[in-house]
Amino acid sequence: MPRLHELQRAFASAIVEGKGLPSVTSLQGGPSWRSLALYRRLIRHNYIQALTITYPVLHRLIGGHYFGVFARGYLKRYPSTSGDLFAYGQHFPLFLRQLESPRLLIELARLEWVCHELHQAADSPLPSQEWVKTLATVDPSSVTFRLNPAVRLLRCALPVHRVWHALQPEADGDGIDGLSQSSEEGGLLVTRAGGKIHVRSLSPKQWWLLQAVRDRKTVAEVECMASEFMPDLNLAQFLTGLSDPATGPVFSLEVHT
Amino acid sequence: MSQLVATPIPAHAGIGLRSQHYREILEEPPPVAWMEAHPENYFGEGGAPLRILERVRSQYPLSFHGVGLSLGATDPIDSTHLRKLKALLDRFQPTFVSEHLSWSSVDGRFFNDLLPLPYTEESLNHVCARIDEVQTELQRSILIENVTRYLTWRDSTIPEGEFMAEVVRRTGCGILLDLNNLYVNAVNFHLDPVKFMDAIQPDAVQEIHLAGFDHVGRWLVDTHGQAVYPEVWSLYEWALHHFGPRPTLIEWDTNLPPLAVLLEQASQANAMLGACYATPA
Repeated sequence: MPRLHELQRAFASAIVEGKGLPSVTSLQGGPSWRSLALYRRLIRHNYIQALTITYPVLHRLIGGHYFGVFARGYLKRYPSTSGDLFAYGQHFPLFLRQLESPRLLIELARLEWVCHELHQAADSPLPSQEWVKTLATVDPSSVTFRLNPAVRLLRCALPVHRVWHALQPEADGDGIDGLSQSSEEGGLLVTRAGGKIHVRSLSPKQWWLLQAVRDRKTVAEVECMASEFMPDLNLAQFLTGLSDPATGPVFSLEVHT
Repeated sequence: MSQLVATPIPAHAGIGLRSQHYREILEEPPPVAWMEAHPENYFGEGGAPLRILERVRSQYPLSFHGVGLSLGATDPIDSTHLRKLKALLDRFQPTFVSEHLSWSSVDGRFFNDLLPLPYTEESLNHVCARIDEVQTELQRSILIENVTRYLTWRDSTIPEGEFMAEVVRRTGCGILLDLNNLYVNAVNFHLDPVKFMDAIQPDAVQEIHLAGFDHVGRWLVDTHGQAVYPEVWSLYEWALHHFGPRPTLIEWDTNLPPLAVLLEQASQANAMLGACYATPA
């Protein structure tokens, strides 16, 4: 094994496992533990900062001290595997679940990871109401729905969107109106528009329909499902409501010739 | 965005593009000659960061300063990282692309920090091969930056300045000279920064970084969280007379102040660059 690789491995072991590193000297030729302690501190600080940026609401909710405890534990179990720190917190919700953390924290972390991903997701096509005209002129079985890239559907066990909204920096401080899941809440629609993330609660029917959109059903299939299970629903109105430019276009249509 | 071509960066001061200043920079583009961005912050497929970078690029030449390539590592270079970097270069045509003479990963585990290399013949051969690989893939030369270190490898046999000079000679890359790093190392390890600067080829130095450090226990630590210290300004003055005027970045990453503070530091650098132009070598 090349000497350079051996040295780098020894350094990594010294940082991770607290082993000594006889191949280095510290300040004024002093023992290596001084240097290694400083590196450990700097490295840990970088990761905690990265997680804080990815999970700002969770950080606000539980405070810096407890967040730091979780972050240090996460670093031990899920070390970074990329030079790009954007991906570093990917397993944080799973880690919280493995710790059997309160359900609220796990669900909030899931929502925040989705928000984080959306910040850099591909841009969606410009919102347009042209789809209504398109539908009028083509065979609905030849048109497929497509969820836009800067859109996610998230099924949550708790209405964490209320916590998420209440803890935004610009929130009015009204607090959180309970955490029991209402029967009218079926899941969350998370979108990006104008550089901002928008989180909306969906009714069970909306959730169900948007799942069909996500699953790339044809317009004919969605119409059929809607008429069978939701005869009261005005599909066109529902879809129009999803295309609010302020919160970002949710879907586009692909016409297959 | 129309097809861009890389524009020369004049030997004036620039600032780092940081998300906390996005709004201010877009509303009133500051009077600086160029900006530096970390490419990793723009690796996404879309979203506001890329749109903002497009707007900034339409008004300023850019320098891309990478932090994640782990040039000195013995693991294979991350081809995805390199591919994303190449795509960004093609799109934004920065004038300079730089990385650090350091390593960050081993056996697939990343530390996301700039860890020091032992300065040995083996490291030299290894780093030169890696820089060749990167330059071939990117189809352009890169700059390499001297890093701060908080330890000394007993294996090291080559002084850092000579090591860098040899890397430049073998690979044709340039140097991003970080004077704060040089100063921090000099104080922590009782080294002579002038010796380092004497060892490197003046023509290879294409960009200079100035930043602030913190005192942590007995260490000076390169935090990029303070204004440039007087001792580093003095070193800068020496470097300008030795190398001639160079594009100079005010680098500030943590404890980020208002944009006006960065601009004031940039003005100070510009004043020294102006004095350097006015004084024949």
